[in-house]
Amino acid sequence: MYAWDFAALKPYWSLIWQGLGVTLFYTVTTVLAGLLIGLIVGILRTAGPRWASMPLRAYIETFRCTPLLVQLIWVYYALPVLIGVDMSAAMACFIALSLYAGAFYAEIFRGGIEAVDRGQWEAGRAIGMRRSKIFRRIVLPQAIQVMIPAFISQTILQLKNTSLVSVVAVGDLLYQGTVITAASYRPLEVYTTIAVVYFVVLFPLTLVADRLERRLGAHR
Amino acid sequence: MSAAEPTLSVTDLHKSYGALHVLKGVSLGVARGEVVTLIGASGSGKSTLLRCMNLLELPQAGALQVGRHRFAFGKGEAHPRDDELALLRRDVGMVFQHFNLFPHMTALQNVTEGPIQVRNMSKRESIELGRGLLAKVGLADKADTFPAKLSGGQKQRVAIARALAMKPDVMLFDEVTSALDPELVQEVLNVIRELAAEGMTMILVTHEMAFAADVSSRVGFMNDGILAELGSVEEVIRKPQNPRLIAFLNRFHRQPVGMRGSVDAGHSGAASD
Ligand SMILES: Nc1ncnc2c1ncn2[C@@H]1O[C@H](COP(=O)(O)OP(=O)(O)OP(=O)(O)O)[C@@H](O)[C@H]1O
Ligand SMILES: [Mg+2]
Repeated sequence: MYAWDFAALKPYWSLIWQGLGVTLFYTVTTVLAGLLIGLIVGILRTAGPRWASMPLRAYIETFRCTPLLVQLIWVYYALPVLIGVDMSAAMACFIALSLYAGAFYAEIFRGGIEAVDRGQWEAGRAIGMRRSKIFRRIVLPQAIQVMIPAFISQTILQLKNTSLVSVVAVGDLLYQGTVITAASYRPLEVYTTIAVVYFVVLFPLTLVADRLERRLGAHR
Repeated sequence: MSAAEPTLSVTDLHKSYGALHVLKGVSLGVARGEVVTLIGASGSGKSTLLRCMNLLELPQAGALQVGRHRFAFGKGEAHPRDDELALLRRDVGMVFQHFNLFPHMTALQNVTEGPIQVRNMSKRESIELGRGLLAKVGLADKADTFPAKLSGGQKQRVAIARALAMKPDVMLFDEVTSALDPELVQEVLNVIRELAAEGMTMILVTHEMAFAADVSSRVGFMNDGILAELGSVEEVIRKPQNPRLIAFLNRFHRQPVGMRGSVDAGHSGAASD
């Protein structure tokens, strides 16, 4: 029987907090960047010029159909060679995670926008609203209601996906776990603790998602 | 605008969807205060004609004029710009079969959205206007209710108030009672009747023949993309001459219509010889 000794981790808690901070930092920044990319790409795919459709589709499918780990390593090792600039691990992680999230958010936005009844556009046009205004005031608010569940589950995935940055030695929660393990020789306690920290952050988020979904559904 | 000039006119309008020629040269002028009802079989092009009147559909040829707004379509004519279309539609109200209310806004917000966002009316003034219009359609107490909590008849009355809030020169109604439970039809028709009495210029597509006979200044019969008949209620509904029109009307009455009088005489005369 294994004798658990969580007290052995006591000296390393500051590293765990530090790692959690990095994890949250990458989550927040790449979710925001991904949302921006996703909104623009999603709109361009539903209402943009026809010539934009193919390249955007190629972008989305590339990032959806290759593993994020491969994308991360490619951006870190291959991209700098191709474009001839040095890239820090932090920058590579930010770019890969943002583009990855953007591809998924774009599809969520597109799905949400297309789920809004055509009659809503017509009603807006019939009272003399311009396209951009109909989109902002009539279609987008309804699309967002439809998108919220998918948006939240994608964001939860994004937080978990940030753990891949540890591969290129960015000091996130998981990376600190490997550091602490090397120092303490207590992998079971370390990785159990890391898992619990992820869980404690994410579980409330799923509860919030459920409540939000129910509240937003009230007017439909 | 001179008194004689129609409030709305379409001239030789053609509309196709791909190879399907839906409107095959329709001309119609509607004078201020007139109520013109369009009847006709399913697929004859009634909705398409109505939707060409606020350019929700762009015709391939012909012309449309509403007040100072003029559009011409066909070879050599420029495609109307988004802003020109928006300006036209401010002055043409439209009510849809399926209401198309904005579900994320209350009844009052549905009504004030156009005045605030399109006419740049102040919020206070638009709320006053909106409450007045909701009262007019009998929904003063539903101002803060969301569409999901309204009955079909109530939704449609909010939709009428929303269109009226733009102070349009002409109102278009496309089968606005077709999606309603039978017991809710009258409350909507009564609102339209009241508008007719106030002198609102209106073009309606409807299958409610008794109502059409009641409110219309003129009735048009659409058949296969053509305005096959256009005349008074008497001429088109009570004493129709056109065989296709007679066949169409007969589907709405237990007693055959137009089988008395001249049509009947003509038939029996031909048969007896
Ligand atoms: N957007 C569209 N694309 C292709 N065909 C269309 C479109 N809208 C209408 N049509 C076709 O045009 C024809 C006329 O349709 P329209 O809706 O004007 O008929 P309607 O007289 O209003 O019929 P109903 O009484 O059923 O409403 C029909 O054959 C219809 O299928
Ligand atoms: Mg129709």
